Amino acid sequence: MNAVISLLKPRILSSLNGLKRGNKKNNWSRILMFGTLGVVFWIGTFIIFYRVLSYFHSVQDFGDILAIKLLSMIIITFFVLLIFSNIINCLSHLYLSHDLPLLHSLPVSSKDIFLSRWTISNFDSSWMIVAFSLPVFISYGLIFKAPVIYYIIFFTAMIFMCLIASALSGILVLFGAKILPAGRIRTILVIIGVIMVIILILVLRLTRPEQLVNPDSFASVVLYLNSLQAPNSPILPTTWITDTIIAALHNESNTYLLNMSLAITFALMLIFLSSISSQKVYFAGFSKSQTTPRRLFTPLKYKGFNWESSLNFLPRESKAFAVKEIRTFFRDSSQWPQLFLMAALIVIYLYNFSVLPLDIAPIKAIYLQNIFSFLNIGLVASVLSAISARFVFPTVSMEGEAFWIVLAAPVKIKNFLWIKFFLYYVPLIILAEILVVASNFLLKVSSLMMILSIITTFFLVPAIVGLATGLGAVYADFKSENPANTVTGFGGLLFMILSFALIAIVIILEAGPVYNIFMADLRGQSLSLIQIMWVTFSFALSLFLCLLAAIYPIELGKKYLIVK
Amino acid sequence: MIKLSELTKDYGTTIAVNKLSLNVTAGEIYGFIGPNGAGKTTTIRMMGGILAPTSGSIIIGGADMAKNPVEGKKKIGFVPDRPFLYEKLTGMEFLQFSGDLYDVKLEMFQQKAINLLQQFALWNWADELIESYSHGMKQRLIIASALLHDPQILIIDEPMVGLDPEAVHMVKDILKNLSANHNTTIFVSTHTLSLAEDLCHRIGLIHKGTLLAEGNLDELKHIANLGEAKLEEVFLTIIKENTFI
Repeated sequence: MNAVISLLKPRILSSLNGLKRGNKKNNWSRILMFGTLGVVFWIGTFIIFYRVLSYFHSVQDFGDILAIKLLSMIIITFFVLLIFSNIINCLSHLYLSHDLPLLHSLPVSSKDIFLSRWTISNFDSSWMIVAFSLPVFISYGLIFKAPVIYYIIFFTAMIFMCLIASALSGILVLFGAKILPAGRIRTILVIIGVIMVIILILVLRLTRPEQLVNPDSFASVVLYLNSLQAPNSPILPTTWITDTIIAALHNESNTYLLNMSLAITFALMLIFLSSISSQKVYFAGFSKSQTTPRRLFTPLKYKGFNWESSLNFLPRESKAFAVKEIRTFFRDSSQWPQLFLMAALIVIYLYNFSVLPLDIAPIKAIYLQNIFSFLNIGLVASVLSAISARFVFPTVSMEGEAFWIVLAAPVKIKNFLWIKFFLYYVPLIILAEILVVASNFLLKVSSLMMILSIITTFFLVPAIVGLATGLGAVYADFKSENPANTVTGFGGLLFMILSFALIAIVIILEAGPVYNIFMADLRGQSLSLIQIMWVTFSFALSLFLCLLAAIYPIELGKKYLIVK
Repeated sequence: MIKLSELTKDYGTTIAVNKLSLNVTAGEIYGFIGPNGAGKTTTIRMMGGILAPTSGSIIIGGADMAKNPVEGKKKIGFVPDRPFLYEKLTGMEFLQFSGDLYDVKLEMFQQKAINLLQQFALWNWADELIESYSHGMKQRLIIASALLHDPQILIIDEPMVGLDPEAVHMVKDILKNLSANHNTTIFVSTHTLSLAEDLCHRIGLIHKGTLLAEGNLDELKHIANLGEAKLEEVFLTIIKENTFI
């Protein structure tokens, strides 16, 4: 046990050192921003759940069943999330971290290394779910007027649910890594996970929940709710946890003690089993993870076809960077699931427009269509922001420790950043314009709105990409084990805030003038002088802001990279 | 070919390089030695344009690295101490990337790349991803890529780390040949004193960011007041005395 504690110390000490004053990463603006966001999200979750549960509770008989069913679904969702996140974290912490060769060279047993790493992985995977489950369960407690013991019981139950999920994942990973190299398992799991999410989103979307507003479909909803009353399997840990919490809500001590005991003993048994298994199989799996990685797919080559030659129009250094970037992007298997997810979201996005019930809406269709079209510019830009956050923002950090090559090469940093910019700008502008044109086509909007959408998007996309490239350079982390995660840091958050702010300002600036133009067009009138001046000023200011957002962050990024 | 004047790098808490001045002429092999943390890598990174100096100037082949870094970098072949590369490229693709950045003539690239890969025993691995290379193979690939554009100046930080004896021998021969037959200037930082002794025309000894002594082996022996002695003894004496500023 002493060895496990010693092995945990580097992590604990690193975290404590990170909190010390004088640590560059530990500035107040950063803490304030993340803290505020966390608190807002926490309070938001609480308010939503409190209001939903209040509503359920007010519906006689039926409401409480629904609330309990919701609780059961939440627990199952948390458990699945915990399992998935624990598997990914266990693989990283147990097989792929850079410090593992050092740990395995120390005079400690495999079991001790496993237990210390499993503890860290468990904490990393669980703390956020536990933290954000609190507003959910607290609102249940308040609505159902639960006794004080409920709050202690649900918290303990959550802890043991995390331990069960973590121990199960640990065992799965231990035996999985014995069969397949750990790096490969992670890739496959991430892909499977994302495909599952895509299928789930598609199924949910294609069931057309908007039909629920149609009274004719109520009969099927009643049938569905009836099916919800089916009992959960008594051999599942999620059932024990759910039953513990429900019993605590109603202060039924016998039931919650029984179910809690089941959960605790099961968790302890799993931890014991994983500890025994680790002694036998962990080191073998770790050795396997050290073997030379092979490509998951070998590229197909066709005679006479060379995709690189399609970039021959570019200057030589730009082509070199473009080819390097495209190759590394598509060979990095961690990027693939993100591409699948993006494709699914785009399909759903366009599908949503195709099923909008404009014909049965109480507002005049032509007006509604054009409002949607205008809002669509903001929506497309927001989608682009999210995509840029995931792909463009980390692009400088993705150079990693090999960034010295760029610094040592006879290339100006400014050029390097602009090459990165255009590499992402071109596909993203094509994507954005396709989204805007296709959704406007589905909405059957006026040609004025179509032109306005195309032009606004044309200027917003470079602004977003420039902002992502520049801030990605300012907040670059070349030592990160997973550069894609840089977006979850302060810089990523700042990018998202600035990006959304820019989109909002541009939309607000354009809203008034567009309304005037639209109404004048509809009435067959011409604009007054003041209106023309207003339109000119608004569009000029929007253009200026977009150009500023495209250029200035890259200049800033250049300065930061040179100083570094 | 290389001229450092009053070069200083202040990290805020430490002065890694303190008013360092030195000259290296064309075709010369200059060894840069010193204990750990002496400022060797910081100096080399500033010379390679990877790190901005706090003050002082660096002239590489007539180009001021502060005013015209791109011109200076074109003349340099840079080899860092740790072989970080683009892991998702193959060896051949990395050379192509390097050749494009350094503007190696297209009609010459293929043959040069093949020759270098063969010379550095990487030909059989040319189409494998770099992530599958060993440390030594990555180091050999970096050296090969640094030679691809026939640089006038080679700046190398710890060239032999991770190389097997055969590769060490080969790299030494290549460096000697470049200096003797191609008039290439070579600035090499190393901890391997026998290498500096065997390879370098002149040696500079840096300690705590300051150049303590420089000259050929005989001159260094004279500075250290030693008669017949190995570079190791000279090194230890100068570092111990720390008075040759």
